[in-house]
Amino acid sequence: MVLLEVKNLNKKYDDKNVLKDINLKLSSGKIIGLLGKNGAGKTTLIKLINDLLTPTSGEILVKGNKIGVETKKAISYLPERTYLNKQMKVKEVLSYFEDFYDNFDAQKARKLLKDLDLDESQSLSKMSKGMQEKVQLVLVMSRNADLYILDEPLGGVDPATRDYILDTILSNFNENASVIISTHLISDIERVLDEVVFIDKGKIALHSDTDELRKNENASIDEIFRRMFKC
Amino acid sequence: MLIKLLKYDLKYMIKNMSVFYILSIFFAITTRLLSLPEQTVMIGILSKISSGCMIAMIANVVINVMMRSWVRFRDSLYKDEAYLTHTLPVTKNDLYNSKFIQTLIFFFIGFIIVLLSLFVAYYTPDTWLVIKDYIKTITTGFNMSPLFFISIAILLIFLELFNAIQCGFLGIILGYKKNNGKIGFSVLFGFIIYLVAQTLVLGLVFVYGLFDPTVMELFKSGTISINVNAFKILAIVASILYVVIIFSMSIIGKKLLNKGVNIE
Repeated sequence: MVLLEVKNLNKKYDDKNVLKDINLKLSSGKIIGLLGKNGAGKTTLIKLINDLLTPTSGEILVKGNKIGVETKKAISYLPERTYLNKQMKVKEVLSYFEDFYDNFDAQKARKLLKDLDLDESQSLSKMSKGMQEKVQLVLVMSRNADLYILDEPLGGVDPATRDYILDTILSNFNENASVIISTHLISDIERVLDEVVFIDKGKIALHSDTDELRKNENASIDEIFRRMFKC
Repeated sequence: MLIKLLKYDLKYMIKNMSVFYILSIFFAITTRLLSLPEQTVMIGILSKISSGCMIAMIANVVINVMMRSWVRFRDSLYKDEAYLTHTLPVTKNDLYNSKFIQTLIFFFIGFIIVLLSLFVAYYTPDTWLVIKDYIKTITTGFNMSPLFFISIAILLIFLELFNAIQCGFLGIILGYKKNNGKIGFSVLFGFIIYLVAQTLVLGLVFVYGLFDPTVMELFKSGTISINVNAFKILAIVASILYVVIIFSMSIIGKKLLNKGVNIE
């Protein structure tokens, strides 16, 4: 089943074409790596899917719906920055998510917070950026969504925490859902990916099954990426 | 969903505004306590300081509602928090309406706090009589009932402030459509919209005056000795026009938001 469909998508900033005629179909039950160099257009594409940017032209459909209230119910999105109101306490943020998302599992969130030694009664303003990012990851992964979009979830964390985050992601999404992980730390996530989408200079350079790609090129995804985008 | 959004918008405002409400009431009480009939020089000085602080807090109650409403609108819809706001399963209309209603509610609360503070600090049967006499003099001169005069005066002040808030909201929406200088453009657009709204009110009153000579006198005469009925009509017409302009701005704001945003 096609979960996400992107048709002839273009995004311009002034005269600069950031995304050029993107066409993409992603199906359910997959973990997809959205890979590309810095500034390739990964975040722009993700923001367009999440209604944070307005396309210059083209169309995005999630489960057949145009971007809107219905698609927002289906997508659980982790942005690359901290976006929670710092005046709130963790427990207030949990109530907030419970209020707005029918598919939010508060019990699961509390369990994950406990596992991560995060105090529910603590104010976000008193937490480090890393702790806030962990809270956000917990919130996003505690939704029973159809599509999880994680923008640079491993950025700026140590290798041990990276493994923990990846395990949290893998063990906390429902089997029929898909996960899009955008990153340039390919070697860290390579083992979990079912599909890869390489994006370069605003265009889809490659969309393939990871096993097939490794077999055809006789190399790891990381090596293929380095070869393809050698400066 | 609108109720849920409103709940969090109100919570934010309460967190930020309550300190001014408490201080305003606190200084009103101290002003009252220090207003002894026979006071020493020192108590007299303290009374004046307390009274000054209360006035400052009253001003803060009004100014902060405006400032906080604009900041909340910008932060929630265009800054980091927008990553959450725009990914909530709610319509853009609800996002806008929540901010609109939140501002309305806090203007009412602010108004009550101002009245309450003034009452606590300065009420005496004598001052009440002075105010009543003053209002009576004005209303007799303008041939209107005191209730009508007070109601229309409060309504006009309220609408004027609310109009300024809406100009700010619309200015922010337009300013954040630009790729660069978003804050500067927001202020500029907000100011331009405010001027346009004021000109529009004045222009439409003038058009009304073409059909009502008493109102036209306001534009022609340089003295105050014109038909008092004209002031009554002017106040009513201006109130209606403000309401129309405020709602028109809200419709335009929602239409622009629905066209999409570009969050950095």
